[in-house]
Amino acid sequence: MDKFSFKDVLVTFAGLFITTLVAWVLITSTGNNPSEVAKYLYEGGFKGTRNIANSLYQATPLILTATATLISFRVGMFNIGINGSMYVGALYAGWAGYKFTNLGHLSHVTLCILIGMTVGALWMLLPALLRVYAGVSEIISTIILNFVAVLFVSYMANGPFRADPIAPATARILETAELKQIFPNSQFNTGFFIAVIVAILAHFVLNKTTFGYELRSGGDGLVGVYPSRFSSYLGIPSDRSAIIGMLISGALGGLAGAIEVLGAVRYFFQELEFNQGFDGILIGILGKLEPIGAIIASLFYGAIKNGGFFVDYKTDVAREIIIVLISILIFFVSAQKIVKGLEKYPIVKKLDSFFSRKKM
Amino acid sequence: MEWIEIFDISLLRSLLRSTAPIAIVGMAAAICSAAGVLNIGLEGKMLNAAFAGVAASYYTESMWAGLAAGIIAGIVTAVLFGLLSFTLGADEVLAGLAINIFSLAGTTYLMRTLFGQAGFFSDPKIVGVEPIYFTFLEGTFLEPFLSGFTYSVYLMFFIAAGLHILYYRTRLGTAIRATGENPEAAEDAGINTVRIKWLVTVFSGLLAAISGLFLSLENLTMFTEGMSAGKGYIGLVASSFGNATPLGTFGASAFFGLGDAIGIRLQGVYELDSRLILMIPYALTVVVLILIGIRQRLKVRPVAIPES
Repeated sequence: MDKFSFKDVLVTFAGLFITTLVAWVLITSTGNNPSEVAKYLYEGGFKGTRNIANSLYQATPLILTATATLISFRVGMFNIGINGSMYVGALYAGWAGYKFTNLGHLSHVTLCILIGMTVGALWMLLPALLRVYAGVSEIISTIILNFVAVLFVSYMANGPFRADPIAPATARILETAELKQIFPNSQFNTGFFIAVIVAILAHFVLNKTTFGYELRSGGDGLVGVYPSRFSSYLGIPSDRSAIIGMLISGALGGLAGAIEVLGAVRYFFQELEFNQGFDGILIGILGKLEPIGAIIASLFYGAIKNGGFFVDYKTDVAREIIIVLISILIFFVSAQKIVKGLEKYPIVKKLDSFFSRKKM
Repeated sequence: MEWIEIFDISLLRSLLRSTAPIAIVGMAAAICSAAGVLNIGLEGKMLNAAFAGVAASYYTESMWAGLAAGIIAGIVTAVLFGLLSFTLGADEVLAGLAINIFSLAGTTYLMRTLFGQAGFFSDPKIVGVEPIYFTFLEGTFLEPFLSGFTYSVYLMFFIAAGLHILYYRTRLGTAIRATGENPEAAEDAGINTVRIKWLVTVFSGLLAAISGLFLSLENLTMFTEGMSAGKGYIGLVASSFGNATPLGTFGASAFFGLGDAIGIRLQGVYELDSRLILMIPYALTVVVLILIGIRQRLKVRPVAIPES
């Protein structure tokens, strides 16, 4: 994929403008007041310490799932199953959170996170192997595994891991396994910093190291195309990088789930619902498949998501409108020909080269 | 009750009912695969059609309005997919995924905002599709096999047969298969491959709409959030297992239908956890994917899902 360029920014803003128009139509046609919705959206997202903290809390898993998405896309694998990894990661991190006693705070948290990540990675092993060794589309297998994951964790919370006789839930995690919540009345927790550090690390590994280059050589610039022959001519095992990329991607999904349980919910229950794995795909694309872009897009998405909850609470407009609007935005961003069409205009070209020069 | 006793007439009837939505959307996937279009967006088309059907049926209290609205919704979604993938140059997989996420959120949004319902929307004003009874079969041994299904169950046989003829007996079918197998050669032979891709996409929208309407207006008369529950994807796997041929896809779908039907029956017989029963179709899908993998390793048949 190309680096950020001026025309991408232009398309994103044009998309945002049209998306806003669509939002206006959607809100008015269902009998609500758009300016009121906009006001609550802003207040819920950005006004006051608590809302900002909650927006950052919403962004936390998104940063990880978006990074997971972009890593898999950039090794040439379409991993749509990050949501599944998130579920199983959350379940087993929660399990480790109450199962292991007599551990110190740091060691217990680390153990829980590692277990969540391992389980999340293992969840991706079958699709990766099927893709690389048998040519079975990983797109379908990972999507189907999402459905399996939801039912599996719900079965586990109801059966083997159930601790509460009334509600289908596991035991609460021990205090030593908690990621600390910093602000009162907010689920914002130290997991946010883990997520940001992981994304920055991903940026350096992908873009600045040989290992990252080997990983990318399978799919970079070829999003939508499977591990190319090109990399094997260079002597880089693209099969291996495809599998490793999938496992890293799954591990980050598991980490996102682990942070949700260790930092916010503190136990696993049947109704716990994740869709950040799917949001992460949208955000990864919005961020042009770059980890830094993913952080920025996640912060933006987290804020409007939190604002969306406030809108849902205050008005008759359901919070799903946010996802509707973001997917419309994705329609624009993914439409390559709009981006290419802009190159015709000399002013765009000039600004483009200006900005890319500045980057160097 | 012995386990063998679950294999009876009602299992067969349940099998046909479970097969219908998967087979119809599976054939939509098959015709797309045959033309080299990887149509992940079928799931979204089903959902939009299912919702539009219920909403229109609720407002007009007419079954026909519901069916028409559902089919229009399916085709409009298909046109959106075509616009993004063929006209605006978006990646097919990304376009399909974005459409699925858009449709899931969009139908949920509309349901909550228009009807104020969360989870599911059911109302006596929604007119569903009644089963068809053949009076001339009454009393004959064929009655339990053939009578009393809704139209989609009958339709799926005609779709399979019709597509089979289209594939192997018409110029259009040859053009579709040529587009999928070797687009450059097809272009050289004077086939407008973009037009073929548009055609199969719109047609797949129609089929996906029928499948979605089966869920919301025939099998049930209600809409639930995400009610397609992966059937669009299972249809893709069925088409892959069936090598993207109509009859192969139909057979693979019947296999999924059988798993579904046995699950439903087992639930009545044994006290199994409902989640494990619900997992059956997806677990079966994973098994089928592994089988496809083994077949591809053995190189019995060529790869069926096009590598976009």
